[in-house]
Amino acid sequence: MTEWAFDALLAGGLLGLAWQIVASRVLFRSVVLFIVFGLLMAVTWARLHAPDLALAEAAIGAGITGALLLSAYRAFLSRRGTDPGPPPVFPRWAAVGVAALVGALVGGIGWVVVGLEPPEQTAGREALAHLAISGVENPVTAVLLNFRSIDTLSEVVVLFVAFLAARVVAQDLAHAGPGDWLRASRNEPVLVQPLIAFIAPMTVLAAGYLLWSGEHQPGGAFQAGAVLAALGVLLRLTGRLRPTSEPSLAERLSLVGGVVLFSAIGLAGAGVASAVLAYPEGWEYELILLVETALTIAIALPLVLLFSGSGGLRREVR
Amino acid sequence: MTQAAFFSLVAGALSGIAIYGLITQRHLLRRILAVNVLGNSVFLLLVALARRDPDYVDPVPHAMVLTGIVIAVSATAFALVLARRYYSETGLTHLPEDEE
Repeated sequence: MTEWAFDALLAGGLLGLAWQIVASRVLFRSVVLFIVFGLLMAVTWARLHAPDLALAEAAIGAGITGALLLSAYRAFLSRRGTDPGPPPVFPRWAAVGVAALVGALVGGIGWVVVGLEPPEQTAGREALAHLAISGVENPVTAVLLNFRSIDTLSEVVVLFVAFLAARVVAQDLAHAGPGDWLRASRNEPVLVQPLIAFIAPMTVLAAGYLLWSGEHQPGGAFQAGAVLAALGVLLRLTGRLRPTSEPSLAERLSLVGGVVLFSAIGLAGAGVASAVLAYPEGWEYELILLVETALTIAIALPLVLLFSGSGGLRREVR
Repeated sequence: MTQAAFFSLVAGALSGIAIYGLITQRHLLRRILAVNVLGNSVFLLLVALARRDPDYVDPVPHAMVLTGIVIAVSATAFALVLARRYYSETGLTHLPEDEE
């Protein structure tokens, strides 16, 4: 009973926030409520027994997306006041009709599928049955980095392409990212430096722990990369990292490292293992950990650079 | 009603709200927000269906959604860069084809 009450409250919160996000008159309110929406989604994932998703959503969905949206909101303020734009051209009743149809379709698909007899043979059952040969104990990590590793490889490529595309259309440094870069100075609030001195090592520790623990419990490269990216956002905003238009050699290597290493190990699998993207027997755990480490960096760095709106970042000594 | 069925219906309602926002709002930032809500509703449907068999939790949809979350943030970041460039070139916050 309590669980149902909790789920009902959660659903009410999600729907109420979604409505405010799309219909609120004040844009800033929509943006902030979207971040709250991300946090409620994370709670929902936890309720649906998906702790890996809860971690990723809290760090990426609410954290990094929220930071990107807020910095874009600020850019939209710069030139003129709130531009109300012309009135809607699409009749409101038609929009309500289309929305009701789409909602009924999505909800109806879910309702029908839940009502069907669950099949005996599913990919998920296969994955759980062969967990022992995957090299890791967390089934989600096993699917991501062994059974369906082609998805993960393509996903890192998509992130890299998004970064490249963003560089192509990006503006000059002064107008990109969260705005003017402010050098960390003696005039900054007195608590900033001690706070960073405490948070930075703790974040690196947390990312390392998430990366390592993804083998047997919720966590992994995605979550670790998002946590590292959050640290990069913090250092960029407090002036510890200075945006540069060109990435350094180390940054270039880190950006492509995940894709190159993953592809190399995957292609080698055609020779030394059974197929492309298969791992040689007995080396699954070591190779997965190696690939995950490279992926963590290959996820964290593009996300920070996308937030920063720059090609690279340099350490700035105060 | 099972938890899977309940959250499938919530996913349906969320997608309806997102589509309504996508159609009626013309501000680029609001449209990006609506697309993100729409994406989350599809994720919710997938994860709810991963729980339809009470015996086990299907890890494959979880892996798909985890990949989807990273793809969504990549696409959102690129869309925001495009919208900002468009705004700084034209001073407009909506697309010209949305005008009468």
